[in-house]
Amino acid sequence: MIQNDPGTSPPALRTDQLGRRYGRVWGLRDCTLEVPAGAITGLVGPNGAGKTTLLEMIIGLLQPTEGQLAVFGETSHAPMAARLARVGYVAQDHPLYRDFTVADMFHLGRAMNPSWDQELAQARMGALDIPLKRKVKALSGGQRAQVSLTMALAKRAPLLVLDEPVSSLDPVARLEFMREVMAAAADTGLTVLIASHVVSELERLCDWLIVLTGGHVQLAGPTDDLIAAHRILTVPRATPDAELPGLIIHRTDSDRHSTVLVRADPARLAARQHPGWQADPVGFEQLVMAYLQRPSKTARDDTAQAAARPGPATKAVTR
Amino acid sequence: MIWVSWRQHRSQAIACLGLLAALAVYAIVVGTSMRTAFGQDDGLVTCLARSQGNGCPDAIHAFTDRFGSEVNVAFWSVLLILPGLIGVLVGGPLIARELEFGTWRLAWSQTVSRARWLTVKLGLVTGGLIVLGAAMTAVITWYRAPMDRLTGRFLPNIYDFEGLVLTAYILCAFGFAVLAGLLLRRSIPAMVAAFIPWLAIRLVVEFVLRPHFQAPLTFHQVCPQNGSCFGGYGLGILPPVTGHIGDWVLGQAAGPAGVNSYLYQPADRFWTFQSIEAGIFVALTATALGATIWLLHRRAA
Amino acid sequence: MFRFRLDGSSGVPPYLQLVHQVRQSLLLGYLREGDRLPTVKDVAGDLAINPNTVVKAYRQLEHEGLAGGRPGQGTFITATSSPTLPEAQQALRASLEEWLRAAEEAGLSSEEITALIAVARHDLKKERV
Repeated sequence: MIQNDPGTSPPALRTDQLGRRYGRVWGLRDCTLEVPAGAITGLVGPNGAGKTTLLEMIIGLLQPTEGQLAVFGETSHAPMAARLARVGYVAQDHPLYRDFTVADMFHLGRAMNPSWDQELAQARMGALDIPLKRKVKALSGGQRAQVSLTMALAKRAPLLVLDEPVSSLDPVARLEFMREVMAAAADTGLTVLIASHVVSELERLCDWLIVLTGGHVQLAGPTDDLIAAHRILTVPRATPDAELPGLIIHRTDSDRHSTVLVRADPARLAARQHPGWQADPVGFEQLVMAYLQRPSKTARDDTAQAAARPGPATKAVTR
Repeated sequence: MIWVSWRQHRSQAIACLGLLAALAVYAIVVGTSMRTAFGQDDGLVTCLARSQGNGCPDAIHAFTDRFGSEVNVAFWSVLLILPGLIGVLVGGPLIARELEFGTWRLAWSQTVSRARWLTVKLGLVTGGLIVLGAAMTAVITWYRAPMDRLTGRFLPNIYDFEGLVLTAYILCAFGFAVLAGLLLRRSIPAMVAAFIPWLAIRLVVEFVLRPHFQAPLTFHQVCPQNGSCFGGYGLGILPPVTGHIGDWVLGQAAGPAGVNSYLYQPADRFWTFQSIEAGIFVALTATALGATIWLLHRRAA
Repeated sequence: MFRFRLDGSSGVPPYLQLVHQVRQSLLLGYLREGDRLPTVKDVAGDLAINPNTVVKAYRQLEHEGLAGGRPGQGTFITATSSPTLPEAQQALRASLEEWLRAAEEAGLSSEEITALIAVARHDLKKERV
């Protein structure tokens, strides 16, 4: 049951067994997360993994089939307008009305959002050299992306959701876009949620990470904590799985050695370290790729598996 | 939200104004020359004043032949579908365009619920279409005034554009197209999917239901002993056999032998019939739009 | 204004790169005591990185005594240079040159020298893990 603890500010996002079904198929299931305010979160997963489903429920474009959801304390039972006011959204491909001028788009923003900041919108256009009188269809892809971003930022919502924001942009436009996002986050303590499958770019952008595959959360938490909780062990090929500490995420076997990504707390690793083994920290991209490549198992399965092994229980990183 | 709806439909509004202006230009040109000819035709005027037009079929025919392009079937067919086209062209893209181009993700994530977004939009556009329909009807009624004195208003090709039904036809096509747009998610298929049932209903109402909105009366034609009995019915028969301009003769009826009997609707039933027919199409509009709002609200939930 | 840069392929975490750049600049004299470091917003907006990363780097610098924040004014360099004095750097440079000469005489190619250095640094890092 989601309850707000009075006296502390609510987390940016809180879900409890959240799920959404499309006919017979579950797009998302058993999603339980708590993302703090001010975090910049990367949401990673292959197409069809449930990223869009999760995002649309957070924004208010979709209702959950089961479970609970609260964005800055507003649950999915709150009035629609209140929920929509919490989130600024830039959809993939940055949809805008092509016949509108930029000024018209801002007029729309003002008409449809009580919290609209017209000065901010105009200032951003001035700084980016985008004329207000120009029609959207005459703008470049990068400029349209900036206008979309401005629409979301000028709404002054505490959460900004970006769905694959840069996949259609050239490298320069990408950099410009993310510069604006990071600067805005630094300015206002904005909470940002970026769905992407360009993993390499997320490392420097995100301090929080959610990995989704097959409609389930595989990994969720602050990136520093997640990286600290994993190691890459280089062990002799013959080493059986049962001897390895923690939870095996991914194992690659060569002729004489194996490389294993394990999840375990550092104390446990130190205790079970074998002299012939080598332990290295895992890189962000390596970590994400390993989880993306696992066959879709739920985090609950993993916790159960780890609990069945001898030794102190693995600290679960999903909560 | 009102500004947003207006801005999104601005070019459609301008196109409709253009259509209205073109119609007005035509109406003024033809209508003025018609009025002039009517005023100058002393024979016609005195004849009508005297006899309700019974005694001067030739003069009447001369006038209608001169200005009678409206009786032309091809012309009438085009004007039949025009309200339907207007309705589906405006209604089809209303929701479908947002779904087609993905702008629904923008429109429905602002701080306005979907239901309110749609209701304001429908309210504004429906109001605009009512104004358009009324204006078109007014323009057509004005220019046809002299002719209507000779033909009445009940004949199908005239009835369809005067009174209330033109606006109602437009609204019904619009309502169907908006609903189709939500269900099919594509503008052009929505337009087609709305137009076909609209046309079918339109034709059924006109040819099957309309003659019987109220029970028709029977007229027994008394033929003079030695004179010719001028009979028949249809668009070209002016004045109608009942002798009263504006009566709508439906067809022959059973009657005593030796006498031509006709079923007809008297001219003074014009507004009643208009109200009934407009009521049918407005009810269909309300059902379609109501269903659209309900479905959209339900999908958001 | 002092401008940072980020090397995405270096494998070094971003915040450490920022810290290193400040240390290096201090060593080389490009940063001096009293210089103001750019704001978190400026760095985040310049490099397109998470502002928390910048905060972390600045905290690390404070922890090492190289920089300090003045409320309402920004973050300023407080050290005159890093604990390693230029003379020590000269000594290191000299011993490095000697080692390189010895390596070349032993017949190591340029790539082998680079590989040897990488392995040694890696083993050293492993010891610290």
